[in-house]
Amino acid sequence: MQKNWQKMRQNQFFTEKLLLREQVIKAIRKFFDQEKFHEVETPLLVKSPGTEPYLEVFSTKLKDEHANSQPAYLLTSPEYAMKKLLVAGLDKIYQICKSFRNQESFGNNHNPEFTILEWYRASADYKKIMDDFSRLMLFISSELQNYYQEIESDFADYILSRLKNNQVEYLGKIYNLQLPYQRMTVAEVFAQYLKINDQELLDRDKLYNLAQKQDYPLAKEESWDDLFYQLFLNEIEPELAKLDHPVIIYDYPLSQAALAKKKKDDPRFAERFEVYLAGLELGNAFSELIDYQEQEDRLKSELLLRKKLKKSTYTLDQDFIAALKLGMPESGGIAVGVDRLIMFFAGVADINEVLFFPALEIFK
Amino acid sequence: MSTVKAGNIKKGSYILYRSVPHYVLRVNFISPGKGSAFAKVKMRDMRTGANVEFNFKSHDNVEELDVQSKEMQFLYKSGDEIIFMDPNSYEQVPVPVKLLEGQVEMLSSEIKVYVIFHEDKALGVSLPPKVKLKVVKAEEAVAGDRQTAGKKAVIMETGLVVQAPLFIKKGDVLSIDTSTGDYVSRVN
Repeated sequence: MQKNWQKMRQNQFFTEKLLLREQVIKAIRKFFDQEKFHEVETPLLVKSPGTEPYLEVFSTKLKDEHANSQPAYLLTSPEYAMKKLLVAGLDKIYQICKSFRNQESFGNNHNPEFTILEWYRASADYKKIMDDFSRLMLFISSELQNYYQEIESDFADYILSRLKNNQVEYLGKIYNLQLPYQRMTVAEVFAQYLKINDQELLDRDKLYNLAQKQDYPLAKEESWDDLFYQLFLNEIEPELAKLDHPVIIYDYPLSQAALAKKKKDDPRFAERFEVYLAGLELGNAFSELIDYQEQEDRLKSELLLRKKLKKSTYTLDQDFIAALKLGMPESGGIAVGVDRLIMFFAGVADINEVLFFPALEIFK
Repeated sequence: MSTVKAGNIKKGSYILYRSVPHYVLRVNFISPGKGSAFAKVKMRDMRTGANVEFNFKSHDNVEELDVQSKEMQFLYKSGDEIIFMDPNSYEQVPVPVKLLEGQVEMLSSEIKVYVIFHEDKALGVSLPPKVKLKVVKAEEAVAGDRQTAGKKAVIMETGLVVQAPLFIKKGDVLSIDTSTGDYVSRVN
């Protein structure tokens, strides 16, 4: 099998497709520059990575000059450090960096190391971030159109034939990036596609019955979270993938949002949203939880769950809790998979076609 | 039949899904930030030939089918069925065309295939990774369009149309990848 760098020697079109990454990243930087954000850099090698119970991390050892070693990890998201910078007084920050997730498939939408874009706004909530995201998508699309109009190549023609004003053709279908995006709460999508109300959505037995009716393989003790997510993946995600525009799904049940703020008027739900486009989950955002006590409790229970699930365990980031204790401003933030954005604009279905060196080529 | 955890489902195996045998085409594992790990399984319904996708929880119990594969020879196509023959017993077995979606035009009597049986019923056919087929029609080289630059369409003895390099001529024997139907090399 030819590797991507080998294909590049023979195929100009393929080379230019990989270079689309450069243009997308330039557009992102330009967008945040115009919005007066600071670009920051935080460590990828950390002592206390994210506590999400089901994400596995890469573990390593950090040695000092006397060869004394201590555990170190590659992060799954730069979130904690960026929030410390909010406490430090920066109010609009973004970062484009690598993040790492172990024990996942290679290819399709996943690569063990991937490029993440995160941005945070102080004195803002998730609604403001929804607005940022939709404007960013349009901005990238328009920057790409401007750039490729000046280029004479088959690839430039290919991009310009697919990107027209607010529309982007992706895998044979045209998507409209026009503002505002359709927004639906999690309760609304479950009501629409599975005909259950918000009370039933939060009822584990009701979800169990629904899954049973759909003939799912089930054990007696399935948890609410698993049932929720399995119904979402099987019954709702395919429906969202059929839409010809991006859709924002917001207000997740509390247990599905460990770093998000509870909704004031309905504490069963938290201010989290995800944005879906063409079957791709592009971003995950919160109104950030700023209550240090609640944050510490949630992280602790996640670390306990990690232990139970036999995932790597580590110490809680006390520095992060200390920062929250000092007082983090009300903030909104988001993590966006940059490789997936590139896939969308490049018109490809597999992440391995937008990476110069896919992990698949190196490790399999 | 044996029970496996969905997290251990392998590509290329046969499982019982909603009481129907399915051939596993692809398995992807996803670990959402919240909730347990899932196996996104793409599979082919062996009754209808339709491809379906289902997200199993990794700990779900799934029935894996015990299958036997028998080496057989392609004889001919008859309506909606392909007839294969056991070269030892001369026994003939019909297999629905829909179970060979996209691969019918790669069958020639020269190649050995394996017919997969579950309890004496044909579930599917497994082709070798590559087959050799002869080119019966190839136009003189013309400038390719942009997506297929340097390639042209040639027609194989089985009717299969393949995008091949410009130097390929009628009478050449090509190696074809049976999973994609793509040109691999010239093997004259």
